Amino acid sequence: MQLDAAEPEATGPGPAQPASSPSALRERLSTAALALLLVPAAAGAETATNQIDFSTLYYGEQDRTQVFEPIVRATRLFGDGQAISAQLGLDVITGSSPSGALPSGTVQTMTTPSGRLVTVPAGQIPLTKFEDHRAGLDVDWRKPWGSLVTTTVGGHASREKDYQSLGVNAKVSADFDQHLFTVSAGGAFNDDSVFPVGGTPIGLSDGSEVTKGSNSKRVKSVLFGISHVMTRRWIVSVDGTRTYENGYLTEPYKVISVVSPFNGLPVYTLTDNRPSSRTRSSALLSSVYHLANDILCTSYRYYTDTWDVRSNTFDVKYRHDLAEGWYLEPHVRYYRQTAASFYTIGLSTILRPPEYATADYRLGRLTTLTLGANLGFRIGDRPSQWTLRAEYIRQKGDTAGGDQNGVQSHFDLTPTINTFTAVLGYSFNF
Amino acid sequence: MGRALVRVEDYFAGRFEAMAGPCVVLIDGDDRAEAAALVETAAGEALRVERKFSRYRTDNLVHAINHAAGRPVEVDAETANLLDYAATCWEISGGLFDITSGVLRRVWSFDGSSRVPSQEAIEECRGHVGWERVTWRERTLTMPAGMEIDLGGLGKEYAVDRAAALIAARTSTPFLVNFGGDVFAAGPRRGGRTWAVGIDDPERTGEAALYRLDVARAGLATSGDARRFVTRYGRRLGHILDPRTGWPVAGAPRSVTVVAPTCLEAGTIATLACLQGPGARDFLKEQKVQFWVF
Repeated sequence: MQLDAAEPEATGPGPAQPASSPSALRERLSTAALALLLVPAAAGAETATNQIDFSTLYYGEQDRTQVFEPIVRATRLFGDGQAISAQLGLDVITGSSPSGALPSGTVQTMTTPSGRLVTVPAGQIPLTKFEDHRAGLDVDWRKPWGSLVTTTVGGHASREKDYQSLGVNAKVSADFDQHLFTVSAGGAFNDDSVFPVGGTPIGLSDGSEVTKGSNSKRVKSVLFGISHVMTRRWIVSVDGTRTYENGYLTEPYKVISVVSPFNGLPVYTLTDNRPSSRTRSSALLSSVYHLANDILCTSYRYYTDTWDVRSNTFDVKYRHDLAEGWYLEPHVRYYRQTAASFYTIGLSTILRPPEYATADYRLGRLTTLTLGANLGFRIGDRPSQWTLRAEYIRQKGDTAGGDQNGVQSHFDLTPTINTFTAVLGYSFNF
Repeated sequence: MGRALVRVEDYFAGRFEAMAGPCVVLIDGDDRAEAAALVETAAGEALRVERKFSRYRTDNLVHAINHAAGRPVEVDAETANLLDYAATCWEISGGLFDITSGVLRRVWSFDGSSRVPSQEAIEECRGHVGWERVTWRERTLTMPAGMEIDLGGLGKEYAVDRAAALIAARTSTPFLVNFGGDVFAAGPRRGGRTWAVGIDDPERTGEAALYRLDVARAGLATSGDARRFVTRYGRRLGHILDPRTGWPVAGAPRSVTVVAPTCLEAGTIATLACLQGPGARDFLKEQKVQFWVF
């Protein structure tokens, strides 16, 4: 069935002169082939590549906590798609954080985690000074199974002076409909221990009575996600997470001021006391849109828990490529949360304390605005990537859940906290 | 795992399956153990390249690139070199040679039938084709979601040259590597003889050789549609697709064989020739290579 009617005649052998005057096309082609094939044969024979990422985070709250966190992560990618990575992180945390107590017009004294006494100048928010070091190791292993399914399993261990965390996690992802849909499901389990310096204070007591030994905290979480390629430029995903926490969830160093209803002055303090279980749920809707050159990532997250904290988060990132290895990615995030049901700014000397109470500003009504940018850049010829991320975070609490009576009304009990974060990262393959 | 190794006259022939086809390595020596080791080297490299660059696997970088959904993907040095080569091919062919055109095979099934996709289906697919839409800078590839790359058109020839380089690094024994019809002969053979390579009859592929080519040292590759075609109005449409129209190239030769210094160049020139359609012969003459057109 030869439709072109021509005999299978060979036009050739063509002129076999060894490249007497090769065409421009052939010249370019052989240069390109040479560039490709002249790579040392041994280099091509390797079946795995390695990637090393370094990063150093600096986090500073104005006049409060400072965190310095160097991280090194090594990843080995195997030819068959498996990947194993290990990450070692160290945190050095110094500074002070509000103890929860209220400022007074006169000098107050507090006990501290180490049992020493601090004196707080009048009118200032009492802070607890601390210095802590944390070391953590994370490992994970990703493995594809056939063409559609990928599993990831991981482990985690970290330790600091008064806290230890051990965890395992696993996740399965499967692709459907010509890889247009990806469905993932996973779970994690953490077995943590809290062993406060100087013992664990009894909740809502004056803190003088402590129990020795460590307190257990168990965290189980499940997650489910779907991602869908909508168009060739647009991908949308929905993720749901539920986390169950059980055990010691109290902050042992936080206290609540008990205030005289007559003059508003703090009379004494009681320790923080929180329920021993908390169920958290969150839903995340995110979208990645690829413009001609730039990428727009937007997300919305709704969170709620059984302590009545509800939050909404809006996040927008826009990546703009500048040149080879250079990009700029501005970032804006808005976060707003409601206060936990047992949050209070202070208790009253004439009322019986409730079952649970905290004055920890992180469980109060809170609005956070983050403005930042990520700059990717390249130095030298080595195919490596530098990144510098800087973020300014403005956090404003609000005194819902407590009366500012008497003297307390002269002080801003939830001042705006300005935080600056910088992360310098460097990664390369070999 | 031992590979089938047989003594043929005064050389060894090792066989294995890789890259969806039969592979053979000929070793012009007398040391069986060395021959077995060299065949193993070639097989290992063939499987490595196949694993690393096959678009049919989900566990490699090509899969990661094809499912990045618009996100940038950083690639290793070897992949970067292959992409650079592919970019050069695209450039010098005026966009005819395009590693993103594989998406068109979603609508074209070259099974010898008369099933031809609708123009709308082709147009829809063509929206996901075009190297010009890809941002390829240094080691980072960014591709709009829905697009795919397919290095299948280069992979086999690349693997042949790679395997040949690995064998050459281990021995001075003359040898020949043939992965599914793409060949590199490293000679001359002992006693100054040549390797005899048969050129397939595209009508009766696998049955008879039409021509015999004697080579000392060269790369050979064949491009064509021996068994992969559809018919339309009784006309045979080959499997070489024009990324600019989404249709098979009309009037393309059934088969083009090219001899060049490397297998990769031979394969690329043969493919570029097929993409020229009726102009294949003139194109090949311009390239000043030894060739056969059927």
